[in-house]
Amino acid sequence: MRIFWILLKKELHAFFVSPVAYVVLALVMILNGFAFRAALSVLESAPSEGSIVSWTFHAMWFWLSYFFIFPLLTMRLFAEEKKMGTLETLFTAPVRAWQVVGAKYMASLIVYCLLWLPSLFNFKFASWISAGQVEVPDGAMQGAYLILVVMGMFNLAVGCFASSLTANQIVAAILSFTLSLLHFLMGIFVMVVGRKISDTIVDIVNYFAATEHIRIFTAGLIDSRPLVYYVTMSLLFLTFTHHVVEFRRWRP
Amino acid sequence: MIDVQDLTKQYAGRTAVNHISFHVEPGEVVGFLGPNGAGKSTTMRILSGYMPATSGHATVAGFDVFHQSIQVRQSVGYMPEMAPLYTDMKVKEYLAFRAQLKGLSGASMRRRIGEVMDLTGVTDMRRRLIGNLSKGYRQRVALADALVHKPKLLILDEPTNGLDPVQIRHVRDLLRSLKSKHTVLLSTHILQEVEQSCDRVVMIHQGRIRANDTPQNLARQLRSTTLLHLELSGSGNLAAELAAIPGVRKANEDAGDSTPWRRFTLRVEPEHDVRDAVMDLATKKNWRIREMHRQLPTLEDVFVELSMNAGTPGDIPTHVL
Repeated sequence: MRIFWILLKKELHAFFVSPVAYVVLALVMILNGFAFRAALSVLESAPSEGSIVSWTFHAMWFWLSYFFIFPLLTMRLFAEEKKMGTLETLFTAPVRAWQVVGAKYMASLIVYCLLWLPSLFNFKFASWISAGQVEVPDGAMQGAYLILVVMGMFNLAVGCFASSLTANQIVAAILSFTLSLLHFLMGIFVMVVGRKISDTIVDIVNYFAATEHIRIFTAGLIDSRPLVYYVTMSLLFLTFTHHVVEFRRWRP
Repeated sequence: MIDVQDLTKQYAGRTAVNHISFHVEPGEVVGFLGPNGAGKSTTMRILSGYMPATSGHATVAGFDVFHQSIQVRQSVGYMPEMAPLYTDMKVKEYLAFRAQLKGLSGASMRRRIGEVMDLTGVTDMRRRLIGNLSKGYRQRVALADALVHKPKLLILDEPTNGLDPVQIRHVRDLLRSLKSKHTVLLSTHILQEVEQSCDRVVMIHQGRIRANDTPQNLARQLRSTTLLHLELSGSGNLAAELAAIPGVRKANEDAGDSTPWRRFTLRVEPEHDVRDAVMDLATKKNWRIREMHRQLPTLEDVFVELSMNAGTPGDIPTHVL
């Protein structure tokens, strides 16, 4: 465990001495701003069922940030070490593969959580400036941020896996982007062809669809099924990553 | 300290290390010598626990390199080829990170880091980013990292590669000073390096061990002969007369450019010195000698011979690498 903390500290250090964390943070803040404004204008134009929270996370701007965060945060993790040859230095110190994978993943997850902190301020600010007229339901807030964290866990695990496969950061980024996009497109698929196919298929696809999870959770409904789904999928991809990193040791 | 038995490593369809076995005693400085691509780095990576062998086994400090990888890595200080380091860290920061990974902490760690920085001469660079350091300094930082946990065994993959002559001398002095505390296995393709700093040489070529002995013994055991270069004036079939001297295996006349001086190369049996005999003969026959020069076989000759896989004994390639 001691080794894990040392590695985690080093990984966090690597995030914050390079411009990556700051660039991603700036972009996420800008896009969040747009998403928030889009949500405000929906509420402005007509009475609406959804709260400001749910409209924010339905905005196209939100999904834009959703896609680039994961590749940017994870592409570096293993690909850079492979390219620089530092993986050899690292694994000739007494460290185990799970410690390395865990530390890198945890560092990216911490940075990811930090990215969403400024957006909390948006909602508080709206509520405060309108003297409570813009309603920010607690349930929606909790649901939205909970699903953001678990979705992040899943996509970061996918990104870790993509990065462990290659020594090229661009390839890693494209790979993790593609996997995240496919996951997102499942929801779009249902939206587009939903009426033409059987309900069973719609239900099955919705079980996996990120858009559907966002819709439910930002309405303040905390459903355990997506939570279990994301957490187990994260563990699955981390196991894959561990195996890829450890494969070096087993390769014939 | 190191015990390697019948070790083989195959990469997709290519055999990098082919059934090698060798043994290193505690306190020895062993040079791993071979041309590029001979299998040196592969063997060292296996010994440092970075990757497994295809077959055979190896123990380091009594631990199996595959099954007890963590213990092996704890007792080995490994410096990879090209010294890969985290370029976004400062020297001292990096050494502290590595020292912590290897189990050091607190005041003793800070003291040890100070020691290895002094030893490798990077103290002045401790606040600099590794990315901004020159190749020589990076190499030293990597060496400091290998030393930081006082490992029983140091495995150094081409430690002087890319250094300038002053730095090379510095590293060699350092290696000599480490000899009392550590066992050292270092790889190189530079011959002077092993001649100057190693107790024993393991020569490896195309994945096989070709020789394993002290540098002096290797040169002596060379099946090849000593060469004697002569430049003299005289007439007649000098080559035949020279070849008649006991101990001379063969005498060749080389192309001379300045008559009446003629150049000869004598191939002399090992352990023979025929210089006096040549002198006596010259006096008797009234030849004049203006040059006589004996060329002892160097490690380089052994190396070239082994690398070229020269089948005919007695033929020293006289040119340098």
